[in-house]
Amino acid sequence: MDNVLEIKNLHIDVKKDDSTYNVVKDVNVSIGKQQIYGIVGESGSGKSLTALSIMGLLANPPLHVSKGSIQFEGDRELLDMSFKEMKKIRGKEISMIFQEPMTALDPLFTIQDQLMEALKFHTKLSKSEMKQACIDIIERVGIPRPKEVLKDYPHQLSGGMRQRVMIAIAMLCNPKLLLADEPTTALDVTIQAQILDLMKELREDFETSILMITHDLGVIAETCQRVAVMYAGEVVEESDVVSLFHSPKHPYTKGLLKSMVSGNRHDDLYSIPGKVPSVEQMPSGCRFATRCPHVMDICHTQTPPVQEVEADHTCQCWLYQEELVKNG
Amino acid sequence: MADPLLKIEELETFFPIKSGIFKRTVAHVKAVNNISFDIKEKETFSLVGESGCGKSTLGRSILRILEPTGGKVLFHNKNILNYSSSELRKLRRDVQLVFQDPYSSLNPRMSVRELVSEPLFTHFSISKEEANQQVDEMLEKVGLPLEQAERYPHQFSGGQRQRISIARAFILKPKFVVADEPVSALDVSIQAQILKLLMQLQEEFNMTYLFISHDLNVVKHISDRVGVMYLGKMMEMTDTDSIYEEPLHPYTQALLSAVPKSDPLEEKERVILKGDVPSPANPPSGCPFHKRCPKAMEECTTIEPEFKEVKENHYVACHLY
Repeated sequence: MDNVLEIKNLHIDVKKDDSTYNVVKDVNVSIGKQQIYGIVGESGSGKSLTALSIMGLLANPPLHVSKGSIQFEGDRELLDMSFKEMKKIRGKEISMIFQEPMTALDPLFTIQDQLMEALKFHTKLSKSEMKQACIDIIERVGIPRPKEVLKDYPHQLSGGMRQRVMIAIAMLCNPKLLLADEPTTALDVTIQAQILDLMKELREDFETSILMITHDLGVIAETCQRVAVMYAGEVVEESDVVSLFHSPKHPYTKGLLKSMVSGNRHDDLYSIPGKVPSVEQMPSGCRFATRCPHVMDICHTQTPPVQEVEADHTCQCWLYQEELVKNG
Repeated sequence: MADPLLKIEELETFFPIKSGIFKRTVAHVKAVNNISFDIKEKETFSLVGESGCGKSTLGRSILRILEPTGGKVLFHNKNILNYSSSELRKLRRDVQLVFQDPYSSLNPRMSVRELVSEPLFTHFSISKEEANQQVDEMLEKVGLPLEQAERYPHQFSGGQRQRISIARAFILKPKFVVADEPVSALDVSIQAQILKLLMQLQEEFNMTYLFISHDLNVVKHISDRVGVMYLGKMMEMTDTDSIYEEPLHPYTQALLSAVPKSDPLEEKERVILKGDVPSPANPPSGCPFHKRCPKAMEECTTIEPEFKEVKENHYVACHLY
């Protein structure tokens, strides 16, 4: 198996006032070597929680993984690892970048200090070697005047530069997997294009796999090879990117694609009616049933099974189970 | 053609940079630098540009939420920059603002009914019953269930909150609304709902919009004309179709090419801009864009291009034309 990461049957629950609610349900994701894998969904769909559980960074309590496994490089089970073991993996073999580069960087330390921190922890380089490594990586992520920037504090840099620094810190130890949680959401389009290009380049140079989490289907179309669409904690559809954009199966995916605001002024704007259900009021059958234009009786009572509707293209919807429905 | 509702002439908003123990003004940030355009009645004019280009400052200067340092803003042919505070107060009935962030722009201690009726009590002497009736009508128009009128902002989602903000701004039936990134904080599926609502209300109340956004897809959908700003200057201005089909300014071309594609198979020619927007406190000489411009020429570094009409109703500030 040459998958870098395999998530199987991942369930995440949240405890709230003595009751437990399910927020991520039965997520299965496999990320291949050097692949850019996208998870797309609205706020509250559980996409960030999935990424945090890979890093072992779920805020526990109230959140915890109740079931499932996350296997890294085939044989290492991340969910069974101790805090100490995870610390050795985080930042070295798996690293993560976040949406808001200002809050993710420490305002009291220079860029060099923050890069050195990771190197000191994970490598046994001498001080001058470390410094050289810092300069190299800062140059590699396209920051001009690397020597001066290293002495700067985060507030002296622009949003795009900060995100480049975040990427530099993440790539410093040449990780096998990079988790990118909405890396370009806070940036302008011109800077977003720069950062996405940089990430694609780095994936090739460093042979890294990337898990790209975003709410923007444009970012998915731009970068990813495979995509999972999440809704209310479930993966409702999973396929390669071309198949997803050209023959979407799940009514939610179809709605999302239709509501991408593009085309011209004279076209009618499409929007999915209603809103994502809250965790306390999760529908018992299909979680999308309350907003679905093709809803049937069975959708309200039973959760649809995940089914392969085309080669390598799965979908969780009763529409593709018609025989089953007819036979009761 | 009808008289423009709003005419902006050579508007300037400069912020002083103070330094030293006497806090002497050493320089200015030219957030809005000599901008002129007009907005016709019932039109939607959009301002686009990267963060820090001055688009929000321009929107606020027009409403005198920020005081401009020079130029004129003519609303119905009267310069509102000369208005006294009582005249300005009356003007506020006709001009309103919708903010970007529906989380911080609503007072958390006021119920929806209080929030939406507040402008009525500020501007008119009106009985509680009349106000309640108007609030009910407005809530229905923006699609908020009446039984939720006694709830507080934290009980609503982002999209619902933006509906409250819209109801609050529109209850006075203004003639002109500045919408400052009204959908940027919302999810894609909700964005379309709010845009639709804004377009519906415009039709119903015959309103004129100044729409501020960094999202070119959103702008394409809602606007009649578009102005592209960079470092406090207007770079290009024309109707929506021409700006997308035939952008003239290299900056507009780069902005458009940076929009992520909507289909993975689409082949797209990319103009990737190098570097960031320069600091507006210290803008480059000549054309403000020349340091990032792929087509920069000798004269761009020294002479500032004039903002001129190169085709019918198509204005550009660039030496190429």
